[in-house]
Amino acid sequence: MATALIDQISKGIVETIHESLLVLDSDLKVILANRSFFDSFEVTPEETLGSFIYDLGNRQWDILQLRELLENIIPEKASFDNYSVENDFPSLGRRTMLLNARQIEQGAGEERIILLAIEDITDRMKLETMLRDSEIRYRHLFETADDGILLLEKKELKIRHVNPAITAMLGYSDEECVGKDMMDIGFPSNTVKVQEILESLDKEGIIHYKDIAVQKRTGQVIDTDIYMVDKANLVQCNVRDVAERKEIEAGLDKAHEELKELTTRLKLADLAKSEFLANMSHELRTPLNSIIGFSEALYDETFGPLNEKQSHYVSNVLSSGKHLLLLINQILDMTKVEAGKMTLTLSSLHMKSLLNEILLLVGDMVAKKKMEILLEIGEDLPNIEADDLKVKEILYNLLSNAVKFTPEGGKIGVRVKKADSEIEIVIWDTGVGIASENMQKIFEAFFRVDTPYSRITEGTGLGLPLSQKLVELHGGNLSVESEGLNKGTLVRFTLPITSRRVA
Amino acid sequence: MKKRALVVDDNANNLILETDLLDVAGFEVLLAGDASSAILIARKQKPDIIILDVRLPDMRGSEVARILRQDKETRDIPIIFVTASVTTEGREEIKTITNSLFIGKPINTRTFAKEIIQFIK
Repeated sequence: MATALIDQISKGIVETIHESLLVLDSDLKVILANRSFFDSFEVTPEETLGSFIYDLGNRQWDILQLRELLENIIPEKASFDNYSVENDFPSLGRRTMLLNARQIEQGAGEERIILLAIEDITDRMKLETMLRDSEIRYRHLFETADDGILLLEKKELKIRHVNPAITAMLGYSDEECVGKDMMDIGFPSNTVKVQEILESLDKEGIIHYKDIAVQKRTGQVIDTDIYMVDKANLVQCNVRDVAERKEIEAGLDKAHEELKELTTRLKLADLAKSEFLANMSHELRTPLNSIIGFSEALYDETFGPLNEKQSHYVSNVLSSGKHLLLLINQILDMTKVEAGKMTLTLSSLHMKSLLNEILLLVGDMVAKKKMEILLEIGEDLPNIEADDLKVKEILYNLLSNAVKFTPEGGKIGVRVKKADSEIEIVIWDTGVGIASENMQKIFEAFFRVDTPYSRITEGTGLGLPLSQKLVELHGGNLSVESEGLNKGTLVRFTLPITSRRVA
Repeated sequence: MKKRALVVDDNANNLILETDLLDVAGFEVLLAGDASSAILIARKQKPDIIILDVRLPDMRGSEVARILRQDKETRDIPIIFVTASVTTEGREEIKTITNSLFIGKPINTRTFAKEIIQFIK
């Protein structure tokens, strides 16, 4: 080849190679440096060429080991390969360099030159360390695993290694397994079809066999779960004795059965409770309806006149019957609510009409006590979505309380107004009020303060607590305010306009 | 001519009360204590109105009504259901029967007869 071409090629090679290249004269000054050197060490030709090697890059090459190489080893040996230098380079950090050095004699009289090839092997070494650590960890896992592990080569799935767990599980030592097929150490032949396995592993990466019977060295057969995993140049086969899994599964099945049985029993008990409530309700009301019906017809003198005594007595029977009916209805409602069995039948209610209906009912009481009722019902009151019987019950309870606990000549009032997504109803009176220490107790069933207004013949002690529960079932809220004894009472409750019931 | 009413209820006290109230109001009252007797009497005597308890020992009141409505002899007799049930499902059954009304239990002794006279008109 022509010298010019060789020259060009040589120069090209020097500039193309990855490794950093330095050419030094006998005084260790840099005659030549390649592009890789400038790029790797982030220096310019100006800073490099002609300088002492030790002066380069802020004297970062002034390293004892380099001096050792250039001044002692090379003059003697003429070439040295794979000389490792580890240094904390100011500009690069801690790096390990691998150096190849060669001395070239130029003939008599001419100075010798030194070629220095520098390879930064820091990253390579790091990877090697990581790989080594990983292998150590894997080996540790392999040796200490509870599951049996077989490592198989990928051509014919012959065993390369087994871990101690395999030996413990099947009774074959490592030497007895190496080079053999899995069939030879007790695995059923139909699970170890080499071609199929290799293809599956190729596609999915993992194969799972459940409940494989494997024969130990002793002849005893155990049930196992087997996982085969593709591990690049090997197949890793995990074998687990499923005695434990089966125990857990049996336990779960049993728990599941018990749960099913419990659920069935609960459902039956719940059904029984509903039936009981319905039956009790019917049984209690039937004779009571007779008592009320007959005594009412008598009292009205439908079948003939009564004398004063007869009239008085029959009137007592009638009012006692009605009282009892009220009590039974309230108790049954309370029981239903607390058993979570109270359902609401919703319809669109016109509050004004409802109120008027109830006011009619308490009208007699009000007239008798010469009381005044003040009504303040908002103008554009929307209809509400609620259970009409329950709302009537609430209004009746609260209104009759107001009337009952207010002395003659007193005042009671009803205010209804819209409040955002709810309507707010206030029933107030100028009556006996509630002492602050009783504020919580009034919501207890059958609680009654000893006042002349709570005669035993009237009231049940359930009106307020039941009303509160019914309000809450609709998704509303009920509260009571009173400034104290004889300062009147105010009951405030809300009902959502569109149902957000809890039942 | 006296109007004829058939009162059907399995509870003796209810029968007595309803019968007496209607009697005082000028009705001729027939009685039945169960569904089968009610149907028999209705077919034979053709009352002007039937007051029917929905809960009878042998059949539901609504079933009785359906049977009576299918028979051309008794198709047009107005029926008043007496029910303690206030649930809508109870009322749904009754709504499908033509020419019928329901009254809740316990009955209002003061308005019972009046409501029935009103309905016949």
